[in-house]
Amino acid sequence: MTTDLPSAHPAGKRVDSTPDSHDFPTRSYDLVKEFVIALVVVLVLSVGLAAIFSSPDEPAITMSGWAKADPSDVISTAVGELAGTTTSATYGPPYNSASDGQKLGPLSLQKWGGVRLPVDSAGLVLDPLSNVSKDPVLSAAISEWKAATPEQRTKWATEYADAIGSPAVDGEAATGAGGDPAKVAAGDYGPVPALSAAFLGLAQTGGLEGALTSSGNFYGGDSTRSLLLLSDGAYLEDQARAMNLAGDQWGMMNEAGNAPGQPWMWLYTFWYQVPPFSTSDNADALVWGLMMLLTLALVLVPFIPGLRSIPRWIPVHRLVWRDYYRSVKHS
Amino acid sequence: MSVLSIVAEGAGRYISWGVIQISVANLTIIVVMVLVFILALVLPFPSSHGDKSDEEGRAR
Amino acid sequence: MTTRSGESSPDTKTDSSNWTIWLRTRIEGLVPPGQALPDRQPVYVASWIYVFGVMTLAALVLVIVSGCVLAVGGSAWWHVSSLGHFVNSVHLWSVQLLFGFMVIHLWGKFWMAAWRGERALTWISGVVLFVVSIGTSFTGFLSQSNFDSQWIGGQAKDGLNSVGIGAWFNVLNPGQMLMWHVVLLPLAVVAITLIHVILVRRHGVVPPLDANLEG
Repeated sequence: MTTDLPSAHPAGKRVDSTPDSHDFPTRSYDLVKEFVIALVVVLVLSVGLAAIFSSPDEPAITMSGWAKADPSDVISTAVGELAGTTTSATYGPPYNSASDGQKLGPLSLQKWGGVRLPVDSAGLVLDPLSNVSKDPVLSAAISEWKAATPEQRTKWATEYADAIGSPAVDGEAATGAGGDPAKVAAGDYGPVPALSAAFLGLAQTGGLEGALTSSGNFYGGDSTRSLLLLSDGAYLEDQARAMNLAGDQWGMMNEAGNAPGQPWMWLYTFWYQVPPFSTSDNADALVWGLMMLLTLALVLVPFIPGLRSIPRWIPVHRLVWRDYYRSVKHS
Repeated sequence: MSVLSIVAEGAGRYISWGVIQISVANLTIIVVMVLVFILALVLPFPSSHGDKSDEEGRAR
Repeated sequence: MTTRSGESSPDTKTDSSNWTIWLRTRIEGLVPPGQALPDRQPVYVASWIYVFGVMTLAALVLVIVSGCVLAVGGSAWWHVSSLGHFVNSVHLWSVQLLFGFMVIHLWGKFWMAAWRGERALTWISGVVLFVVSIGTSFTGFLSQSNFDSQWIGGQAKDGLNSVGIGAWFNVLNPGQMLMWHVVLLPLAVVAITLIHVILVRRHGVVPPLDANLEG
């Protein structure tokens, strides 16, 4: 008989016509055996798949690796940090107040997060350089930079960046020295060329590894500044793009090489491939907002009229319970 | 490590169709999942100990 | 038929200030008697679609076990040891299996409209579990200490920063991400899994659509 367990079985309080599962005829069913079998199956599958397909381990990009592979990119990035034109320098919260960031409709969510992880982009270049000793040329350049006004600094760095220019790409002509710092025309760039050259040298000799830790002490663990610097360059994205990992390549779903990625991210990454998201400055906020909404809809399916009736309209369940329906028809 | 093991060298194999671009690996996973789902629905489930004589009344 | 509460004296049975009795009563009332680990199921539980819940659970066990083995060696172990790399592969593939079985389980539950009969919370806890699992796997990718972690962190920060979350949850901080991945999120996954499974045992497997009990 039914025990009176008000928490499990409130008498008469049924909101739909679904009968109590405990009132049906039963058959023997071994849950523990089923679980053990499931465990063995999953173990065999995982170990088998691991043995055959392994897992990808593309080595992390080191600062020296970056400097050796693409020295012009390191120089351009360093100059950009000094000029305040890099992605991190113009990002806004949580790193700085250079912009308000993205909005979700009228909501300035990025701004409301606040500048809780302050990062000085010029410091990404100057801090490691300031630790270098016994280099009088570098010391003089740093002194010259520190003595200048912010306007003068920006002028030097911006003009040097323009002078370096960029190589010809997709039908667009090369600008400046075509991206090659060695071919820059003479001009008044202050200490910027010396600073950026010293920065490249430091990177190439491995002096930048761990030099930008945000942890504040001997122990690393917070790579915020190093990763922002790396992301400000083009090299990281170039490598990712070559592996189909960029945002506009459905990258969120993908993995390096032929390894399986994250197929369950298909809907999240889909929106980035199509307008209006693909062309919007607020793409990230918009996609996040949309996905939160759709996730909420999935959570609340039991309460959404129409959506919750789809299983009735498309009776896949008749396959699941065909034995039961057949036995009921015959009784 | 087996000869087939994945040591990433650039991009893997991808299939493109309009705006859709998917790796062969991911597509395989999705196709296998759909197949498994369909098989789970149509394959008969053994009524192992089960025939009518095994059925009892209510669960308690 | 009432459950025996042991040798408690008559006055403590109704003693509402006894926290132990209160807790025991709540726990015993979570599922109907004998339904925590029943050896019988309703006759309509006869389809392969029903195995995907337990397959997901089994995959979760393997994810956690392989994760524990990785923890023994530390976060950089798999880069320098072939055994470590193999364990990492097992961890990756058991996660792929976890999501595969979980999604098939979700498809099945949707087409069976398994939220019927006051089972809305079972459905809700399941979807929340799916979302938390995605978050857990995401922090896992950030903890690989390789190119993937660098790229994924750099990309994900833009999404999270755009809605203000990045100010608190710093995907560029591997120290933080690793601890979320190994401590906080697995605790959440296990807790919600427990709630989900208890709810299933409490209400029993949902009857077929339009099932009627004669008499």
